Amino acid sequence: MATIFEQIQEMGIKQTVITKLDETVERLTVGMNINDIRSALRGDEPRRPNPRLRPHADSFWFHIRPSFYHTEVTHIYPTFRLGWLSTFMFVWETITGIILMVFYTPSPLVAYSNMWNILGNVPLGQLMRNMHRLGAEVMVLVVALHMLRTYITGSYKKPRQFTWATGVILLLFTALLSFSGYLLPWDQLSYWALTVFLSGAEAAPTPPGIDPDVFNGNVLLIAQGGPALGAGGLLRWYLLHVLLLPLLTGIFFFVHYYKVVLYGISLPPGREEIGEDTAKRVPRNERTYFTPDIATNELMWSALTTLFLVAGSLWLWDAPLETHADPVVTPLHVVAPWYLSWSQGWLKLADKTLVIGFIPLLLVAFIVMPYFEVGKSRRYADRRIALTVAALFFTFMLVSNWMGSPEFRVNSSPDREVSIELLPEEGTSAMLGVPYDLMPEGTYLPGQPISGNPHLTYALEEFQAAMYRHSCTLTGNSTWYECVFDESTPIETRKYSNHFSDDVMPDPTAQLVVEEIQPGLKKLTLKYKAVSPANPEEFLIDAEWVKYRHADSNYETECRFANKSC
Amino acid sequence: MQVKIVIGTVAFMLTMMILGFAVLREPARLSQYTDAAKGRSIEAGAHIFENNCATCHGVDGDATECYNSAGEQVGCQGLPLNNYDLLCGDPTYRMGTLNWAGTKEDFVKTTISAGRFGTVMPVWSEEFGGPMRPDQVQNVTDFVLNWESEDLCANEPVRYAWPEAAADYLASADGSAGDATNGAELYVTYGCSGCHGDTALEGSNAVGPWLGDIADVGNTRVDGLDAAGYVYQSILDPNAFIVPDCPTGPCASPSAMPGTFAARIGSNPTDMADLLAFLLGN
Ligand code: HEC
Ligand code: HEC
Ligand code: HEM
Repeated sequence: MATIFEQIQEMGIKQTVITKLDETVERLTVGMNINDIRSALRGDEPRRPNPRLRPHADSFWFHIRPSFYHTEVTHIYPTFRLGWLSTFMFVWETITGIILMVFYTPSPLVAYSNMWNILGNVPLGQLMRNMHRLGAEVMVLVVALHMLRTYITGSYKKPRQFTWATGVILLLFTALLSFSGYLLPWDQLSYWALTVFLSGAEAAPTPPGIDPDVFNGNVLLIAQGGPALGAGGLLRWYLLHVLLLPLLTGIFFFVHYYKVVLYGISLPPGREEIGEDTAKRVPRNERTYFTPDIATNELMWSALTTLFLVAGSLWLWDAPLETHADPVVTPLHVVAPWYLSWSQGWLKLADKTLVIGFIPLLLVAFIVMPYFEVGKSRRYADRRIALTVAALFFTFMLVSNWMGSPEFRVNSSPDREVSIELLPEEGTSAMLGVPYDLMPEGTYLPGQPISGNPHLTYALEEFQAAMYRHSCTLTGNSTWYECVFDESTPIETRKYSNHFSDDVMPDPTAQLVVEEIQPGLKKLTLKYKAVSPANPEEFLIDAEWVKYRHADSNYETECRFANKSC
Repeated sequence: MQVKIVIGTVAFMLTMMILGFAVLREPARLSQYTDAAKGRSIEAGAHIFENNCATCHGVDGDATECYNSAGEQVGCQGLPLNNYDLLCGDPTYRMGTLNWAGTKEDFVKTTISAGRFGTVMPVWSEEFGGPMRPDQVQNVTDFVLNWESEDLCANEPVRYAWPEAAADYLASADGSAGDATNGAELYVTYGCSGCHGDTALEGSNAVGPWLGDIADVGNTRVDGLDAAGYVYQSILDPNAFIVPDCPTGPCASPSAMPGTFAARIGSNPTDMADLLAFLLGN
């Protein structure tokens, strides 16, 4: 072997550099030199022996990928790229998550201010946070859809039962990852969502022969890291989020994907004989090679997904950040993340213990399902029952989710309902979104038009609309619905209802008072009065709701995002 | 395949352009969010102040209008916070009087966290056994500091040098012409009646001793002080002597009577003579 100096003497500097570069590339790709890569990208036929197959045998990164796919499974149908997308989202979450980790300390003393530091002090910090949080939601969605598709195409059937089983575990981990991350900002949203969910542990069914108080109490203690969620609990959930769950998800992913490669991606059901599995027997003319076709396809989807996530995080979707977690102040409506709303819906249907016992059973049922559902045919026409069951289950989940979502919540007093719609304790609203300078000191009435001030006018319209939904009339006042009430209850304790709600204010008056109490700080007070029908001297409702609004608080910026209600 | 490469490349370039745009607007956005964090902290502080501090420091923070938890107006026990001495200049006047060497923010924050020993200002931070988390202390600190404004700091208040002895004051131009009628009004507007009740009605006092007979009792409290000297001292420095009996048992030490009257009456020194004329003339 000639030394580098001898090569330079022989070929000149330029040629040596080119040769060395080529060699390096060939080593890095484990088999393909620059010309091979160019020809692959041009779509030329490979030379023989085919250098494009060598990486699949010899390199670490490529050996887990098959060297070719059945052309039938490379189209959008049957996979819809959902398994690939799940993998992409997992990688995406890992990368953005590691960056966020740099700026985060899992302690109740600083976690929340860390979030504001990420938003206000770390360049591109908000983008990073939005991308991570949006990514988490997209990932849950994508994984669930992936599951739905493997069910619909019957891909869980023999020999892929175990692939399905590991998949169910992956779904569980995905949900847990998302949920454990939910706690980390340590704001009211995260604190109470977790507290409410963990309190489920208290109602969980106890193994026979064990004292439920001891058992459930200890489970809760372990999950919370103390009598209430605190420093211990935050650290625990943080470690789950950044260490244990990603590790387990990674391990299960490789098992899952190993099985996928081992059996091949199942062909569209109509493409094979009933009872056969031909995914691994791919005739030469139906092969689509990884290099270059699958690789370029995946790169394209990576670029498109990245584009979507970056643009979405910048303009469409904004991660919420509420006020600091406060163990002694329970928000009026604790909202579960949407992908867990169904469980809150179930709680309205059945006893807590039943619901909490049912969820693990359901999970086990999913895992073992393919070992019992052994119908040979994957064709849709032969699986009417299976597909109907899926459709029913899917509908049931959607309905449960709707029932558990905030629209279907237990109401508090009507004046509070109006108040939290207009001046919510957390987040933004039409009224908070009025720019500071366009909210002059004064007293305003619902629906009052303010000339030259569309923002405030709109907010006051919303005020009127909310009042309308939570009021009724006993005196024929045409502003409100006629009151409906039960004549048999005594007048002192009567509840009045209208078309929308069964606890409303009879003939109320309301106003908004704006005062500037400090430079750049306004006090917004909503005042309600309703005379008691039993005794005109007394008030049935005489309530106030105060919210402070600082000029710099940025509520109007939040209003620009599609996921914020203004 | 070529199409895919083109689509992928275009998507990648678009992403880079978007990121470039994000980078360009980043400095403005960062400062916007830094301000927002402060703004929201002040909002949270306003709620905390309303619920915990206004009973002593006044609804507007100037220690003039205070209500107890039942909603009745009471005398303000705290110092004014919406106030030149606490907020204006650096170091502020208050920092100077207490030899505080740190920053203004630390002065306020430490006072709130640890309370003030020897006064009724309570401890607030969990760290020292109070009820508030560190972030809440920070919130209310931000709120208190937010009272600083150009208007507030435009004019330094005149500080009145109270003579040591009542006799010297009463002999001065400010003290010589006491008006008992005006004194009766001041007794209410300064909030004395909130604690001491109506001087014409024994037993109407809620917090402090009844003052209807102070013209006599005042002579007996402290050796060497006559009633005028004693009342003068009681107003200017409530802790100098703690009265044995208050309506709800022995008077607490430190005194529940605010130490702020020296400064407040100091901006209108003749008020002292009027109050004395009212209380002693009765
Ligand atoms: C029980 C009455 C009381 C309550 C309640 C109270 N304070 Fe005070 N505060 C005082 C008194 C009295 C002083 C004056 C202490 C002194 O004389 O140095 C004081 C002093 C202060 C000072 C220092 C003022 C100065 O000029 O040195 C600050 C700041 C302060 N309080 C903030 C608060 C805040 C914030 C709260 C609510 C979380 C609060 N206080 C609640 C009684 C109270
Ligand atoms: C927050 C309640 C409060 C307010 C407001 C207040 N005081 Fe007092 N005052 C007390 C208490 C408690 C005592 C008894 C403890 C002590 O000796 O300091 C007292 C003591 C006194 C005494 C001594 C009484 C005696 O029997 O020896 C005088 C005089 C007095 N106050 C005058 C006034 C005047 C004048 C005002 C208004 C400018 C005023 N106080 C405002 C609570 C208050
Ligand atoms: C983190 C979550 C998951 C990841 C990263 C993942 C990844 C993948 C990938 C890359 C494939 C290749 C084929 C395709 O794209 O469809 C696949 C196939 C498969 N997955 Fe998943 N998956 C996940 C969750 C699940 C879940 C929740 C289930 C069902 C319970 C599931 C069941 C299956 C099955 C049965 C196949 C075989 C499909 C076939 O051969 O046609 N996976 N998975």
